[in-house]
Amino acid sequence: MRPHPRPPMQRGKVRRVSTMLALVALLSLLGVSLSSSTAVAAAPSLTIVSPVDGAMIANGTPVLVDFRLANFAFVQPGQAGQIGSPNEGHANVFLDAQYVRLLTVVEPFSLALTSGAHTIRIQLVADNGTPLNPDVSASVSVVATHGPDGGVPHVTILSPTPLEATGHGLYVSYRIENFTLVEPRGQPNAPNEGHVQLLVLRDVVMEVTQYDPVLVVSLPEGDISITVRLVNNDNTALSADASSTVEIHVIASSSVSLPLVSNGGIALLLAFILVVLILRRRKLSAGDANARGGNP
Amino acid sequence: MNARIFALIVAILGMLVASGIPASNGRGAPLPTLSIISPTPNEVIGNGTPVAIVFAVTNFNLTDPGNGTSSPNSGHIDVFVDDALTAQTSVNTIVLPLPSGPHTIRLRLVTDNGSALNPDVTASVSVMVTGGPDSGTPGLSIVFPRGGALVGTDSTLSFQVTNFVLVAPGGPAGVPNDGHIQVYLDNASYAELTDDAPLHLNLKDGPHNVTLQLVDNQGGPLSPDVTASLYITVQALLGRVTPFDATPYLALANLLIGLGILAAIYRKLEVR
Repeated sequence: MRPHPRPPMQRGKVRRVSTMLALVALLSLLGVSLSSSTAVAAAPSLTIVSPVDGAMIANGTPVLVDFRLANFAFVQPGQAGQIGSPNEGHANVFLDAQYVRLLTVVEPFSLALTSGAHTIRIQLVADNGTPLNPDVSASVSVVATHGPDGGVPHVTILSPTPLEATGHGLYVSYRIENFTLVEPRGQPNAPNEGHVQLLVLRDVVMEVTQYDPVLVVSLPEGDISITVRLVNNDNTALSADASSTVEIHVIASSSVSLPLVSNGGIALLLAFILVVLILRRRKLSAGDANARGGNP
Repeated sequence: MNARIFALIVAILGMLVASGIPASNGRGAPLPTLSIISPTPNEVIGNGTPVAIVFAVTNFNLTDPGNGTSSPNSGHIDVFVDDALTAQTSVNTIVLPLPSGPHTIRLRLVTDNGSALNPDVTASVSVMVTGGPDSGTPGLSIVFPRGGALVGTDSTLSFQVTNFVLVAPGGPAGVPNDGHIQVYLDNASYAELTDDAPLHLNLKDGPHNVTLQLVDNQGGPLSPDVTASLYITVQALLGRVTPFDATPYLALANLLIGLGILAAIYRKLEVR
Protein backbone atom coordinates (compact mmCIF):
# COMPACT_ATOMS: atom_id res chain seq x y z
CA MET A 1 0.00 0.00 0.00
CA ARG A 2 1.34 3.37 -0.91
CA PRO A 3 1.36 5.90 1.88
CA HIS A 4 -0.69 8.96 1.55
CA PRO A 5 1.21 12.22 1.08
CA ARG A 6 0.68 14.74 3.96
CA PRO A 7 -1.24 17.88 3.16
CA PRO A 8 0.84 21.16 2.95
CA MET A 9 -0.69 22.61 6.12
CA GLN A 10 0.33 19.58 8.13
CA ARG A 11 3.85 19.65 6.66
CA GLY A 12 4.33 23.25 7.84
CA LYS A 13 3.20 22.36 11.33
CA VAL A 14 5.65 19.49 11.51
CA ARG A 15 8.46 21.76 10.36
CA ARG A 16 7.70 24.33 13.08
CA VAL A 17 7.59 21.65 15.73
CA SER A 18 10.91 20.21 14.60
CA THR A 19 12.46 23.70 14.57
CA MET A 20 11.26 24.33 18.10
CA LEU A 21 12.63 20.99 19.25
CA ALA A 22 15.98 21.81 17.69
CA LEU A 23 16.04 25.20 19.45
CA VAL A 24 15.15 23.61 22.78
CA ALA A 25 17.93 21.06 22.31
CA LEU A 26 20.41 23.80 21.41
CA LEU A 27 19.44 25.93 24.38
CA SER A 28 19.64 22.97 26.74
CA LEU A 29 23.08 22.13 25.38
CA LEU A 30 24.15 25.75 25.81
CA GLY A 31 22.75 25.72 29.32
CA VAL A 32 24.65 22.58 30.17
CA SER A 33 27.88 24.02 28.82
CA LEU A 34 27.37 27.31 30.66
CA SER A 35 26.57 25.60 33.94
CA SER A 36 29.54 23.29 33.57
CA SER A 37 31.85 26.25 32.85
CA THR A 38 30.52 28.02 35.98
CA ALA A 39 31.24 24.95 38.04
CA VAL A 40 34.78 24.68 36.66
CA ALA A 41 35.76 28.34 37.29
CA ALA A 42 36.58 28.36 41.01
CA ALA A 43 36.05 31.51 43.05
CA PRO A 44 39.03 33.87 43.46
CA SER A 45 40.80 33.67 46.79
CA LEU A 46 43.32 35.83 48.60
CA THR A 47 45.51 35.01 51.59
CA ILE A 48 48.00 37.10 53.51
CA VAL A 49 50.95 34.87 54.27
CA SER A 50 53.02 37.35 56.22
CA PRO A 51 52.80 38.97 58.70
CA VAL A 52 50.62 36.65 60.73
CA ASP A 53 47.70 38.06 62.63
CA GLY A 54 48.80 39.77 65.85
CA ALA A 55 52.45 39.93 64.81
CA MET A 56 54.74 42.52 66.35
CA ILE A 57 56.65 44.66 63.86
CA ALA A 58 59.68 45.62 65.90
CA ASN A 59 62.56 48.09 65.78
CA GLY A 60 60.60 50.68 63.81
CA THR A 61 61.02 48.75 60.58
CA PRO A 62 58.45 48.76 57.77
CA VAL A 63 56.24 45.71 57.54
CA LEU A 64 56.72 43.45 54.53
CA VAL A 65 53.35 42.08 53.39
CA ASP A 66 53.41 38.83 51.44
CA PHE A 67 50.21 37.42 49.96
CA ARG A 68 48.94 34.63 47.72
CA LEU A 69 46.33 34.81 45.01
CA ALA A 70 44.32 32.01 43.40
CA ASN A 71 41.87 31.96 40.48
CA PHE A 72 42.47 35.61 39.79
CA ALA A 73 44.82 37.35 37.41
CA PHE A 74 46.31 40.75 38.09
CA VAL A 75 46.17 43.13 35.15
CA GLN A 76 46.91 46.78 34.88
CA PRO A 77 43.65 48.71 35.05
CA GLY A 78 42.82 51.17 32.32
CA GLN A 79 44.67 49.55 29.44
CA ALA A 80 43.75 50.59 25.94
CA GLY A 81 40.88 48.49 24.63
CA GLN A 82 40.62 46.58 27.88
CA ILE A 83 37.63 44.23 28.24
CA GLY A 84 37.12 43.16 31.80
CA SER A 85 36.90 39.54 32.81
CA PRO A 86 35.30 38.30 36.03
CA ASN A 87 38.51 36.69 37.23
CA GLU A 88 40.92 39.48 36.55
CA GLY A 89 41.55 42.87 38.01
CA HIS A 90 43.82 44.31 40.64
CA ALA A 91 44.00 44.78 44.41
CA ASN A 92 43.58 47.76 46.68
CA VAL A 93 45.53 47.95 49.93
CA PHE A 94 44.22 49.79 52.97
CA LEU A 95 46.17 50.65 56.10
CA ASP A 96 43.67 51.40 58.88
CA ALA A 97 41.05 52.18 56.23
CA GLN A 98 43.38 54.56 54.39
CA TYR A 99 44.02 53.70 50.75
CA VAL A 100 47.76 53.19 50.35
CA ARG A 101 48.51 50.87 47.42
CA LEU A 102 47.16 49.64 44.10
CA LEU A 103 48.67 46.25 43.33
CA THR A 104 49.04 44.82 39.86
CA VAL A 105 51.78 42.30 40.59
CA VAL A 106 51.80 39.44 43.06
CA GLU A 107 54.90 40.25 45.02
CA PRO A 108 55.60 41.38 48.61
CA PHE A 109 55.28 45.08 49.36
CA SER A 110 56.34 47.12 52.38
CA LEU A 111 54.42 49.64 54.44
CA ALA A 112 55.85 52.15 56.91
CA LEU A 113 54.01 51.99 60.22
CA THR A 114 53.81 54.32 63.18
CA SER A 115 53.90 52.89 66.70
CA GLY A 116 50.73 51.15 67.77
CA ALA A 117 48.14 48.73 66.46
CA HIS A 118 47.30 48.67 62.75
CA THR A 119 45.10 46.72 60.36
CA ILE A 120 46.26 45.92 56.84
CA ARG A 121 43.54 44.92 54.36
CA ILE A 122 43.89 43.79 50.76
CA GLN A 123 40.81 43.73 48.55
CA LEU A 124 40.45 42.29 45.06
CA VAL A 125 38.62 44.53 42.62
CA ALA A 126 37.59 44.31 38.99
CA ASP A 127 39.27 46.27 36.24
CA ASN A 128 36.80 49.11 36.72
CA GLY A 129 37.65 49.30 40.42
CA THR A 130 34.46 47.76 41.79
CA PRO A 131 34.74 45.04 44.45
CA LEU A 132 34.09 41.47 43.40
CA ASN A 133 30.77 39.86 44.19
CA PRO A 134 31.07 38.28 46.70
CA ASP A 135 33.79 40.46 48.15
CA VAL A 136 37.26 38.92 48.28
CA SER A 137 39.57 40.49 50.80
CA ALA A 138 42.06 39.52 53.48
CA SER A 139 43.18 41.47 56.49
CA VAL A 140 45.72 41.15 59.25
CA SER A 141 46.27 43.06 62.49
CA VAL A 142 49.76 43.95 63.64
CA VAL A 143 51.41 45.99 66.39
CA ALA A 144 54.29 48.24 65.43
CA THR A 145 56.93 49.37 67.89
CA HIS A 146 60.36 50.99 67.88
CA GLY A 147 61.38 48.56 70.59
CA PRO A 148 62.71 45.04 70.23
CA ASP A 149 60.26 42.21 69.61
CA GLY A 150 61.21 40.23 72.66
CA GLY A 151 62.70 40.33 76.13
CA VAL A 152 61.58 41.96 79.33
CA PRO A 153 62.35 45.69 79.73
CA HIS A 154 64.84 46.33 82.50
CA VAL A 155 66.71 49.30 83.91
CA THR A 156 69.66 49.38 86.31
CA ILE A 157 71.22 52.44 87.96
CA LEU A 158 74.98 52.35 87.50
CA SER A 159 75.80 55.56 89.31
CA PRO A 160 75.52 56.72 92.07
CA THR A 161 76.11 53.53 93.98
CA PRO A 162 73.97 52.63 97.02
CA LEU A 163 74.64 54.75 100.14
CA GLU A 164 77.12 56.88 98.25
CA ALA A 165 77.80 60.29 99.77
CA THR A 166 77.40 62.98 97.15
CA GLY A 167 77.07 66.70 96.78
CA HIS A 168 73.93 68.56 95.82
CA GLY A 169 74.36 67.86 92.14
CA LEU A 170 75.26 64.57 90.49
CA TYR A 171 75.06 62.61 87.28
CA VAL A 172 72.74 59.61 87.28
CA SER A 173 73.76 56.95 84.79
CA TYR A 174 71.76 53.85 84.00
CA ARG A 175 71.62 50.87 81.67
CA ILE A 176 68.44 50.01 79.76
CA GLU A 177 67.74 46.59 78.27
CA ASN A 178 64.99 45.40 75.90
CA PHE A 179 63.46 48.85 75.71
CA THR A 180 63.79 51.69 73.21
CA LEU A 181 63.51 55.32 74.24
CA VAL A 182 61.25 57.47 72.07
CA GLU A 183 60.07 61.01 72.60
CA PRO A 184 56.55 61.04 74.03
CA ARG A 185 54.39 62.86 71.52
CA GLY A 186 50.97 61.58 72.45
CA GLN A 187 51.38 58.56 70.22
CA PRO A 188 49.76 55.25 71.23
CA ASN A 189 51.58 52.96 73.61
CA ALA A 190 53.58 50.20 72.01
CA PRO A 191 55.45 47.25 73.49
CA ASN A 192 59.02 47.83 74.65
CA GLU A 193 59.11 51.52 73.84
CA GLY A 194 58.63 54.63 75.95
CA HIS A 195 60.76 57.01 77.99
CA VAL A 196 62.48 57.41 81.36
CA GLN A 197 61.14 59.13 84.44
CA LEU A 198 63.62 60.21 87.08
CA LEU A 199 62.30 60.54 90.59
CA VAL A 200 63.91 62.17 93.63
CA LEU A 201 62.25 60.78 96.73
CA ARG A 202 58.79 60.26 95.22
CA ASP A 203 58.59 63.24 92.91
CA VAL A 204 59.08 63.02 89.17
CA VAL A 205 61.72 65.64 88.48
CA MET A 206 62.60 64.74 84.90
CA GLU A 207 61.31 62.90 81.86
CA VAL A 208 64.10 62.06 79.46
CA THR A 209 64.71 60.04 76.32
CA GLN A 210 68.48 59.83 76.58
CA TYR A 211 70.74 56.91 77.31
CA ASP A 212 73.54 59.24 78.47
CA PRO A 213 73.92 60.19 82.14
CA VAL A 214 71.44 62.76 83.40
CA LEU A 215 72.54 65.72 85.55
CA VAL A 216 70.41 66.23 88.63
CA VAL A 217 70.94 69.40 90.66
CA SER A 218 69.67 71.00 93.86
CA LEU A 219 69.28 67.71 95.65
CA PRO A 220 67.95 68.10 99.18
CA GLU A 221 70.20 67.50 102.15
CA GLY A 222 70.31 64.12 103.88
CA ASP A 223 69.34 60.57 102.98
CA ILE A 224 67.32 60.50 99.79
CA SER A 225 66.32 57.98 97.15
CA ILE A 226 66.75 58.32 93.41
CA THR A 227 64.58 56.19 91.12
CA VAL A 228 64.83 55.61 87.39
CA ARG A 229 61.62 54.21 85.94
CA LEU A 230 60.66 53.08 82.43
CA VAL A 231 57.18 54.21 81.40
CA ASN A 232 54.89 54.01 78.39
CA ASN A 233 54.33 56.86 75.95
CA ASP A 234 51.38 58.07 78.03
CA ASN A 235 53.45 58.09 81.26
CA THR A 236 51.78 54.99 82.65
CA ALA A 237 53.90 52.28 84.24
CA LEU A 238 54.80 49.23 82.20
CA SER A 239 52.70 46.14 82.80
CA ALA A 240 55.71 44.59 84.53
CA ASP A 241 57.22 47.43 86.54
CA ALA A 242 60.71 48.32 85.34
CA SER A 243 62.46 50.62 87.76
CA SER A 244 65.64 50.89 89.78
CA THR A 245 66.12 52.79 93.03
CA VAL A 246 69.24 53.77 94.89
CA GLU A 247 69.58 55.35 98.35
CA ILE A 248 72.23 58.06 98.65
CA HIS A 249 73.40 60.55 101.24
CA VAL A 250 73.66 64.18 100.21
CA ILE A 251 76.31 65.88 102.29
CA ALA A 252 75.98 69.44 103.53
CA SER A 253 78.23 71.81 101.73
CA SER A 254 79.72 74.92 103.27
CA SER A 255 76.98 77.26 104.33
CA VAL A 256 79.27 80.30 104.72
CA SER A 257 77.58 83.38 103.36
CA LEU A 258 78.84 86.86 102.58
CA PRO A 259 77.03 88.57 105.50
CA LEU A 260 78.53 86.05 107.87
CA VAL A 261 82.04 86.60 106.56
CA SER A 262 81.79 90.38 106.51
CA ASN A 263 80.26 90.63 109.96
CA GLY A 264 82.83 88.27 111.40
CA GLY A 265 85.72 90.15 109.79
CA ILE A 266 84.53 93.55 111.00
CA ALA A 267 83.99 92.16 114.51
CA LEU A 268 87.55 90.85 114.59
CA LEU A 269 88.95 94.18 113.38
CA LEU A 270 86.97 96.19 115.89
CA ALA A 271 87.91 93.82 118.68
CA PHE A 272 91.58 94.26 117.77
CA ILE A 273 91.23 98.06 117.83
CA LEU A 274 89.48 97.89 121.18
CA VAL A 275 92.18 95.68 122.63
CA VAL A 276 94.89 98.02 121.38
CA LEU A 277 93.10 100.99 122.86
CA ILE A 278 92.63 99.23 126.19
CA LEU A 279 96.28 98.15 126.30
CA ARG A 280 97.48 101.66 125.48
CA ARG A 281 95.20 103.09 128.14
CA ARG A 282 96.59 100.68 130.70
CA LYS A 283 100.10 101.57 129.62
CA LEU A 284 99.34 105.26 130.00
CA SER A 285 97.73 104.66 133.37
CA ALA A 286 100.79 102.68 134.50
CA GLY A 287 103.07 105.51 133.27
CA ASP A 288 101.08 108.10 135.20
CA ALA A 289 101.19 105.99 138.37
CA ASN A 290 104.95 105.58 138.07
CA ALA A 291 105.34 109.31 137.61
CA ARG A 292 103.25 110.05 140.69
CA GLY A 293 105.20 107.46 142.76
CA GLY A 294 108.62 108.86 141.87
CA ASN A 295 107.65 112.51 142.37
CA PRO A 296 104.71 112.77 144.72
CA MET B 1 18.96 63.12 -15.45
CA ASN B 2 19.68 59.81 -13.79
CA ALA B 3 23.38 60.28 -14.38
CA ARG B 4 23.22 63.69 -12.67
CA ILE B 5 21.39 62.33 -9.70
CA PHE B 6 23.89 59.51 -9.48
CA ALA B 7 26.81 61.97 -9.65
CA LEU B 8 25.22 64.10 -6.90
CA ILE B 9 24.75 61.09 -4.65
CA VAL B 10 28.35 60.01 -5.23
CA ALA B 11 29.60 63.54 -4.41
CA ILE B 12 27.57 63.69 -1.22
CA LEU B 13 28.82 60.27 -0.17
CA GLY B 14 32.37 61.35 -0.93
CA MET B 15 32.01 64.45 1.22
CA LEU B 16 30.54 62.41 4.01
CA VAL B 17 33.38 59.93 3.80
CA ALA B 18 35.96 62.71 3.68
CA SER B 19 34.56 64.58 6.65
CA GLY B 20 32.86 61.91 8.71
CA ILE B 21 35.25 58.98 8.85
CA PRO B 22 38.18 60.79 10.46
CA ALA B 23 35.78 62.34 12.96
CA SER B 24 34.33 58.99 13.79
CA ASN B 25 37.88 57.64 14.16
CA GLY B 26 38.68 60.44 16.61
CA ARG B 27 35.64 59.60 18.65
CA GLY B 28 36.33 55.86 18.48
CA ALA B 29 39.85 55.93 19.95
CA PRO B 30 39.44 57.70 23.28
CA LEU B 31 42.38 59.64 24.61
CA PRO B 32 44.42 58.37 27.57
CA THR B 33 43.56 59.85 30.95
CA LEU B 34 45.42 60.01 34.22
CA SER B 35 44.10 60.68 37.71
CA ILE B 36 45.63 60.61 41.18
CA ILE B 37 43.56 58.58 43.63
CA SER B 38 45.72 59.06 46.72
CA PRO B 39 46.81 61.28 48.40
CA THR B 40 43.88 63.64 48.24
CA PRO B 41 44.48 67.35 47.51
CA ASN B 42 46.11 69.21 50.41
CA GLU B 43 46.34 66.04 52.50
CA VAL B 44 48.68 66.19 55.49
CA ILE B 45 51.18 63.34 55.54
CA GLY B 46 52.19 62.92 59.17
CA ASN B 47 55.07 61.43 61.12
CA GLY B 48 57.48 61.98 58.25
CA THR B 49 56.20 58.87 56.53
CA PRO B 50 56.90 58.44 52.82
CA VAL B 51 54.10 59.57 50.51
CA ALA B 52 52.34 56.74 48.66
CA ILE B 53 50.96 58.04 45.37
CA VAL B 54 48.26 55.85 43.86
CA PHE B 55 47.03 56.76 40.40
CA ALA B 56 44.79 55.38 37.68
CA VAL B 57 45.11 55.55 33.91
CA THR B 58 42.65 54.77 31.17
CA ASN B 59 43.34 53.86 27.56
CA PHE B 60 47.01 53.59 28.27
CA ASN B 61 49.26 50.58 28.72
CA LEU B 62 51.93 51.01 31.35
CA THR B 63 55.19 49.47 30.23
CA ASP B 64 58.64 49.47 31.72
CA PRO B 65 60.73 52.38 30.43
CA GLY B 66 63.08 51.41 27.65
CA ASN B 67 61.28 48.30 26.48
CA GLY B 68 61.26 49.52 22.91
CA THR B 69 57.54 49.81 22.28
CA SER B 70 56.52 52.81 20.24
CA SER B 71 52.83 53.41 20.63
CA PRO B 72 50.98 56.58 21.54
CA ASN B 73 48.90 54.53 23.94
CA SER B 74 51.69 52.90 25.91
CA GLY B 75 54.58 54.12 27.97
CA HIS B 76 55.27 55.04 31.56
CA ILE B 77 54.83 57.83 34.09
CA ASP B 78 57.28 60.60 34.85
CA VAL B 79 56.97 61.79 38.45
CA PHE B 80 57.81 65.40 39.26
CA VAL B 81 58.10 66.72 42.80
CA ASP B 82 58.05 70.52 42.93
CA ASP B 83 58.75 70.58 39.17
CA ALA B 84 61.85 68.39 39.45
CA LEU B 85 61.82 65.00 37.75
CA THR B 86 62.11 62.60 40.65
CA ALA B 87 61.14 59.14 39.43
CA GLN B 88 59.65 57.04 36.69
CA THR B 89 57.14 54.27 37.22
CA SER B 90 55.13 51.75 35.28
CA VAL B 91 53.01 50.51 38.17
CA ASN B 92 50.05 52.25 39.74
CA THR B 93 51.70 53.08 43.06
CA ILE B 94 54.91 54.91 43.79
CA VAL B 95 56.25 55.72 47.25
CA LEU B 96 58.31 58.88 47.70
CA PRO B 97 60.11 59.96 50.89
CA LEU B 98 59.70 63.74 51.07
CA PRO B 99 61.05 66.32 53.53
CA SER B 100 58.76 68.40 55.74
CA GLY B 101 56.92 71.16 53.94
CA PRO B 102 54.44 71.72 51.15
CA HIS B 103 55.02 69.77 47.95
CA THR B 104 53.37 69.51 44.57
CA ILE B 105 53.50 66.10 42.95
CA ARG B 106 52.85 65.99 39.21
CA LEU B 107 52.50 62.85 37.11
CA ARG B 108 52.81 62.84 33.34
CA LEU B 109 52.15 60.09 30.82
CA VAL B 110 55.03 59.68 28.44
CA THR B 111 55.79 57.29 25.65
CA ASP B 112 58.59 54.80 25.90
CA ASN B 113 61.09 57.26 24.48
CA GLY B 114 60.19 59.77 27.19
CA SER B 115 58.28 62.23 25.05
CA ALA B 116 55.01 63.65 26.31
CA LEU B 117 51.76 62.63 24.69
CA ASN B 118 49.96 65.00 22.36
CA PRO B 119 47.93 66.47 23.95
CA ASP B 120 49.87 66.35 27.19
CA VAL B 121 48.29 64.14 29.89
CA THR B 122 49.18 65.11 33.45
CA ALA B 123 47.72 65.07 36.94
CA SER B 124 48.98 66.81 40.03
CA VAL B 125 48.25 67.00 43.72
CA SER B 126 49.52 69.23 46.52
CA VAL B 127 50.35 67.72 49.90
CA MET B 128 51.84 68.87 53.19
CA VAL B 129 54.47 66.65 54.78
CA THR B 130 55.22 67.05 58.47
CA GLY B 131 57.42 65.27 60.94
CA GLY B 132 54.67 65.66 63.50
CA PRO B 133 51.40 63.81 63.65
CA ASP B 134 48.84 64.46 60.92
CA SER B 135 46.13 65.30 63.42
CA GLY B 136 45.61 66.19 67.06
CA THR B 137 46.06 69.42 68.96
CA PRO B 138 49.60 70.28 70.10
CA GLY B 139 50.05 70.34 73.87
CA LEU B 140 52.78 71.46 76.25
CA SER B 141 53.11 70.92 79.99
CA ILE B 142 55.80 71.47 82.61
CA VAL B 143 56.53 68.30 84.53
CA PHE B 144 58.92 69.76 87.11
CA PRO B 145 59.13 71.96 89.13
CA ARG B 146 55.60 72.64 90.20
CA GLY B 147 54.17 76.14 90.15
CA GLY B 148 55.19 78.24 93.17
CA ALA B 149 58.10 75.97 94.03
CA LEU B 150 61.13 77.18 95.97
CA VAL B 151 64.24 76.17 94.05
CA GLY B 152 67.96 76.74 94.29
CA THR B 153 69.96 78.94 91.97
CA ASP B 154 70.88 75.81 90.05
CA SER B 155 67.80 73.93 88.88
CA THR B 156 66.30 72.03 85.97
CA LEU B 157 62.96 72.35 84.26
CA SER B 158 61.43 69.24 82.70
CA PHE B 159 58.55 69.45 80.21
CA GLN B 160 56.47 67.30 77.88
CA VAL B 161 55.18 67.98 74.39
CA THR B 162 52.28 66.16 72.75
CA ASN B 163 51.10 66.06 69.14
CA PHE B 164 54.06 68.17 68.11
CA VAL B 165 57.57 67.32 67.01
CA LEU B 166 60.60 69.45 67.88
CA VAL B 167 62.89 70.30 64.97
CA ALA B 168 65.61 72.83 64.34
CA PRO B 169 64.31 76.33 63.52
CA GLY B 170 64.38 77.66 59.99
CA GLY B 171 62.42 74.96 58.18
CA PRO B 172 59.61 75.68 55.73
CA ALA B 173 56.71 77.79 56.94
CA GLY B 174 53.21 76.52 57.50
CA VAL B 175 54.13 72.97 58.44
CA PRO B 176 51.59 71.74 60.99
CA ASN B 177 52.60 70.16 64.29
CA ASP B 178 56.30 70.77 63.84
CA GLY B 179 58.56 73.50 65.24
CA HIS B 180 60.45 74.30 68.42
CA ILE B 181 60.03 75.76 71.91
CA GLN B 182 60.68 79.38 72.77
CA VAL B 183 61.61 79.94 76.42
CA TYR B 184 60.92 83.26 78.14
CA LEU B 185 62.37 84.16 81.53
CA ASP B 186 60.62 87.06 83.22
CA ASN B 187 59.05 87.97 79.86
CA ALA B 188 62.42 88.18 78.10
CA SER B 189 63.56 85.66 75.53
CA TYR B 190 65.85 83.16 77.22
CA ALA B 191 66.40 80.09 75.00
CA GLU B 192 65.14 77.98 72.09
CA LEU B 193 64.67 74.27 72.64
CA THR B 194 64.71 71.72 69.85
CA ASP B 195 64.73 68.55 71.90
CA ASP B 196 63.23 67.01 75.01
CA ALA B 197 66.28 67.45 77.24
CA PRO B 198 65.40 69.20 80.51
CA LEU B 199 66.24 72.91 80.59
CA HIS B 200 69.04 73.86 82.99
CA LEU B 201 68.37 77.14 84.79
CA ASN B 202 70.85 79.22 86.74
CA LEU B 203 68.91 82.08 88.28
CA LYS B 204 69.54 84.75 90.87
CA ASP B 205 67.58 84.99 94.07
CA GLY B 206 64.02 86.10 93.99
CA PRO B 207 60.74 85.36 92.18
CA HIS B 208 60.85 84.40 88.53
CA ASN B 209 58.44 83.55 85.77
CA VAL B 210 59.33 80.91 83.20
CA THR B 211 57.15 80.52 80.10
CA LEU B 212 57.49 77.90 77.37
CA GLN B 213 55.78 78.48 74.05
CA LEU B 214 55.42 76.20 71.05
CA VAL B 215 56.35 78.09 67.89
CA ASP B 216 56.50 77.18 64.22
CA ASN B 217 59.63 76.99 62.10
CA GLN B 218 59.60 80.75 61.58
CA GLY B 219 59.30 81.45 65.31
CA GLY B 220 55.65 82.45 65.17
CA PRO B 221 53.14 81.25 67.74
CA LEU B 222 50.77 78.44 66.85
CA SER B 223 47.09 79.12 66.33
CA PRO B 224 45.72 78.75 68.94
CA ASP B 225 48.70 79.72 71.08
CA VAL B 226 50.21 76.86 73.12
CA THR B 227 52.15 77.89 76.22
CA ALA B 228 53.01 76.58 79.66
CA SER B 229 54.08 78.93 82.41
CA LEU B 230 55.06 78.79 86.07
CA TYR B 231 56.23 81.05 88.84
CA ILE B 232 59.14 79.93 90.99
CA THR B 233 61.14 81.51 93.76
CA VAL B 234 64.89 81.11 93.75
CA GLN B 235 66.74 81.00 97.02
CA ALA B 236 70.50 80.60 97.21
CA LEU B 237 71.84 77.73 99.26
CA LEU B 238 68.46 76.06 99.23
CA GLY B 239 68.79 72.59 100.63
CA ARG B 240 72.00 73.38 102.54
CA VAL B 241 71.87 72.65 106.26
CA THR B 242 73.08 75.61 108.39
CA PRO B 243 73.48 74.35 111.96
CA PHE B 244 74.04 77.81 113.50
CA ASP B 245 73.85 81.13 111.72
CA ALA B 246 76.03 83.58 113.71
CA THR B 247 75.43 86.53 111.42
CA PRO B 248 72.98 88.45 113.66
CA TYR B 249 75.10 87.82 116.74
CA LEU B 250 78.21 89.03 115.00
CA ALA B 251 76.36 92.16 113.94
CA LEU B 252 75.39 92.81 117.55
CA ALA B 253 78.97 92.16 118.66
CA ASN B 254 80.20 94.67 116.07
CA LEU B 255 77.88 97.26 117.51
CA LEU B 256 78.97 96.62 121.07
CA ILE B 257 82.65 96.60 120.20
CA GLY B 258 82.20 99.83 118.28
CA LEU B 259 80.62 101.43 121.31
CA GLY B 260 83.48 100.07 123.43
CA ILE B 261 86.01 101.66 121.09
CA LEU B 262 84.21 104.96 121.27
CA ALA B 263 84.17 104.74 125.06
CA ALA B 264 87.86 103.90 125.16
CA ILE B 265 88.71 106.82 122.89
CA TYR B 266 86.55 109.17 125.00
CA ARG B 267 88.25 108.01 128.19
CA LYS B 268 91.63 108.53 126.61
CA LEU B 269 90.73 112.04 125.60
CA GLU B 270 89.33 112.68 129.09
CA VAL B 271 92.54 111.47 130.73
CA ARG B 272 94.59 113.89 128.66
